[in-house]
Amino acid sequence: MKKINLKNIDMTLYTEVLSNGLEIYMLPYKDKKNYYVSFVTRYGSDVLEFTDISKKTHKPPLGIAHFLEHKMFEEESGEDPFTFYAKSGTDCNACTSCTNTQYMFWGSKNFNKNLEYLLRFVTHPYFTDQNVKKEKGIIAEEIKMYNDMPDYKIERKLRECVYKNSPRRLDIAGSVSEINKITKEDLYTCYNNFYIPSNMFVLITGNFDPDIALEIIRNELDSNDKRKVPKIKKITEPLKVCEEKKVMKGNIEIPKIGIGLKISTKDIKLDKFELHLYLDMLSTIMFGDSSLFKERVRDKKILNDLSVSWENIDDISVLHIYGVSIKPDELINEVLSEFNSITVDEESFNRIKKVWIAREIKMIDDIEGMADNLCYDLIKYKKVISNKIDIIKNMKFKVLKDLVKNTNFKNYSIVKMEKE
Amino acid sequence: MKILNKDLGSYKLHLINTDKFKTVTIKVLFHTPIKKEEITKRILVTNLLLQSSKKFDSRRKLTIESENLYSADIGIGNQRLGNYITTSFNLQVLMDKYTEEDNLEKSIEFLNEIIFNPDVENKSFRKEKVDYVKHDLMVKLNSIKERPSGYASIRLGELFDSKSPFSYRITGYIDDLDSINENNLYDSYLEMINTDYVDIFVVGDFDNKEMLSLVKKYFKFKKIKKPKKTYILKNRNYRIRRLFVKEEINNTQSVLAIANPVYKLTKYERDYALCLGNLIFGGGVDSKLFKDVREANSLCYTIRSWFNKLDNMIIIKAGIDKDNYTKAINIITKKLDEMKKGKFTDDDINNAKEELINALESIDEDENAMINDVMSSEILELDDIKTRINNIKKIKKSDIVKAFRKVHMDTVFLLEGGIR
Repeated sequence: MKKINLKNIDMTLYTEVLSNGLEIYMLPYKDKKNYYVSFVTRYGSDVLEFTDISKKTHKPPLGIAHFLEHKMFEEESGEDPFTFYAKSGTDCNACTSCTNTQYMFWGSKNFNKNLEYLLRFVTHPYFTDQNVKKEKGIIAEEIKMYNDMPDYKIERKLRECVYKNSPRRLDIAGSVSEINKITKEDLYTCYNNFYIPSNMFVLITGNFDPDIALEIIRNELDSNDKRKVPKIKKITEPLKVCEEKKVMKGNIEIPKIGIGLKISTKDIKLDKFELHLYLDMLSTIMFGDSSLFKERVRDKKILNDLSVSWENIDDISVLHIYGVSIKPDELINEVLSEFNSITVDEESFNRIKKVWIAREIKMIDDIEGMADNLCYDLIKYKKVISNKIDIIKNMKFKVLKDLVKNTNFKNYSIVKMEKE
Repeated sequence: MKILNKDLGSYKLHLINTDKFKTVTIKVLFHTPIKKEEITKRILVTNLLLQSSKKFDSRRKLTIESENLYSADIGIGNQRLGNYITTSFNLQVLMDKYTEEDNLEKSIEFLNEIIFNPDVENKSFRKEKVDYVKHDLMVKLNSIKERPSGYASIRLGELFDSKSPFSYRITGYIDDLDSINENNLYDSYLEMINTDYVDIFVVGDFDNKEMLSLVKKYFKFKKIKKPKKTYILKNRNYRIRRLFVKEEINNTQSVLAIANPVYKLTKYERDYALCLGNLIFGGGVDSKLFKDVREANSLCYTIRSWFNKLDNMIIIKAGIDKDNYTKAINIITKKLDEMKKGKFTDDDINNAKEELINALESIDEDENAMINDVMSSEILELDDIKTRINNIKKIKKSDIVKAFRKVHMDTVFLLEGGIR
């Protein structure tokens, strides 16, 4: 086992790679009762088309990664994972994102058997025509539940405006008509191609013994399975937004807005993790709780809720801004004028660095948060970032200023949602 | 975890000593018997206190101060607990050893500033700030149907008994806004400070003596007050003929919400048997409702039941397609009858026991869980955690059946989507 010292937070991460390529990451705590375990495959809704080793190309119905996640809870024995975990008072769940699917359990008891069970149920699919049919009703209700949420709808619409080709335009769960096309054969095809050791990792945080955990993982998963990930069809996304403006109707009383600023990060000579920190810094100074912008629009009573986040794909980053306002056009103009006259100040820069360092230290108490962060880094940056606090400390104001200078803030989409 | 409960006359102090966290959490909790006409004012007052204070006269300045204190996050919340409304101010800040000397004391001083030094002139709040929080609340209240599940709960309460605190909208009332101004809000603030019962909780690694003197220094209440009214609601008699109401909403999915009042529970049933029984019935993914309504009949994505000890009520909620309304109700009714007839297994009981015991054993892993447990122990006069665990182990099937026979399905509300 390799040990990685997580700098400044006095913790050690244990890592191992099995001969078949399966990666293991373990962060044991001395003072916790609980553990949090996830088994992750780097397969999510971003995969639309792929070619397997026999050169056969597959283009399964949309939403299949999420459907597959639901169906992994089906067991030939009839006893599903929820029932198994309930016996030891353990919780379990799963989730699918654009980039990965993960299966988790968390609790305080029966660690060894629970871990063994997770590794088995995720590696033993059991799909039948009947259980696939049953799931369609459940997932259709899940899709409807999201589609009834106006915040979700405006996000979808903004994504359709910002992205031209990227799968980020699409719903992770697919659509009712797409999921109705899914067959058990489709599920097996995707499963067999992406749920393979070289595409997966196990991540454990909290109260457990790394030596015992590793032994269990070896017993269950060490194999000669050397399959490689199939060739995924690369989708190129143009820099230009697909559509600049869209007005939509929604089941709402107060209008909502969405703005998606799409920028190129191709020529920025920074490590991706650092680049994303600087982008976050920029949006925090511009639109964060202590920003002048927020104070101004609040005083004018043209802002209620505001949420701001970056989505980074390859060499493109998109700043998503969502707001609620009785005067949506005024709010849009305020955001755009902010784009036109960006000012960043060093005092805010240093203060926010301080907040971020405090956030990293606070995070250590949260075994689930630590697991999520590690998982995010492993998927996004394909590595463990062991010196985050140092990286934050070393951020330079000049780099932020240069980033502002070299970025085009004129490539954006606007969506306005009005009352039906 | 060591708890020191101290009655300081004008408030109760609860020092919860634990070395599990890198932060210190302080919660100041105000509680008073709930009055419908005061709810909106209470919400506005608490929102106002987070807008500005005498020393920090804008929201931005308040935020900057909290950032300067290494992200000393302060949150405010209002909640109904049975017959009472509670308002809480929460501060979470890193221990000094991770920041700098006196950062904790400065953060406590900051919390004191927010609670005791409001932005007031001539015995009234500032008009522009009041206008802002009123506007903000108006927008939120207008958007209430955007969360169909929450809206269904509100409507269910009103249909069950519009006179009971159970039906009060803890979100506030639009119709109250017009009559509220900077003067009567200040009166409302004074009433909260001067007449509410107060509990202060501190969780973290500190010296009790030092913390006691810090708290005494910054939290001074004049009057000695003791809660007299019970927290537990008494429901009107149940309807012999159930009430079925449908209300249309322009969504695709429908929300089913059912009120099941409970009568004449013994203390043992409230603290133990019905809690356990509800877990078996609809408490989670291993429950009867989840397995039968969702998994066996694929009628929904979400379904759950909650037992509220203070409200004497079991609420059931599910997101369904309107065409499955009758079928869903039939299955839910059947499942409820089965609970009353003891049609569940020893495995069901043991699994639920494990879940309850694990939750109790994990209380000291989470600051808020510890605070909530100390608070509910006082309100409900609960046994200590060790005794509770022992008592849970002894719960018999007949206890659960007896408690469930006191549950009566009364009001069935469907927020009906999928019409237009």
